[in-house]
Amino acid sequence: MRPTVMLLARSVWKGPHIVPLPIVRPKAGERVPPIKTQARSATILPNFVGLIFQVYNGKLYHDVRITEDMVGHKLGEFSPTRKKFAYKQTKNK
Amino acid sequence: MVFIFGVNFPESQLVSRSLQSFYGIGPSVCTKLMARFHIHQTAKIGALGDRQINDMAAELSTMTLENDLRRQLVENIKRLRDMGTYRGRRHAMSLPVRGQNTRSQVMTARKLNRVDRRG
Repeated sequence: MRPTVMLLARSVWKGPHIVPLPIVRPKAGERVPPIKTQARSATILPNFVGLIFQVYNGKLYHDVRITEDMVGHKLGEFSPTRKKFAYKQTKNK
Repeated sequence: MVFIFGVNFPESQLVSRSLQSFYGIGPSVCTKLMARFHIHQTAKIGALGDRQINDMAAELSTMTLENDLRRQLVENIKRLRDMGTYRGRRHAMSLPVRGQNTRSQVMTARKLNRVDRRG
């Protein structure tokens, strides 16, 4: 795994940015509800793999299913905050 | 002609120039390599001994250069895209990746940032 630029910018002695998230270990045959969070800066840890997060982008909660590749990135990287500009014709002039 | 890493170089060419003709070797890597094998900056290819050439070729074959490096670059971008990261998206849209402004000039990003980047 290659550390992200964000990780490289952070002091090593601090370790990854760990945010306390309400993660419950699933029992066998039980579905885990998505974890709703606004902590976009939380680093994805290896124990998140397979879980579904709902990451806030300022307006909506985007569903993000964590895969092994994503470890070391931040949750916010997977929830885009910008909307592409689209011109709308005004009706009432 | 001297044969290094799959390419023939004329003897009158500078060593630094011929090394930098490989994708993945620029001025700084070139200086390091030449210092390591005791080659002067202004040395020509013809002036190199057999041993120096062999050592250099062995060193080059351990490095990631040319097509391997290009493939690595494309893979890295593709990985970001497949994961759905912001950086991957920006590459796909040919826009600046690291938060630069996009109001006026994004020429370099338009040219370079793409998922199948050529190098």
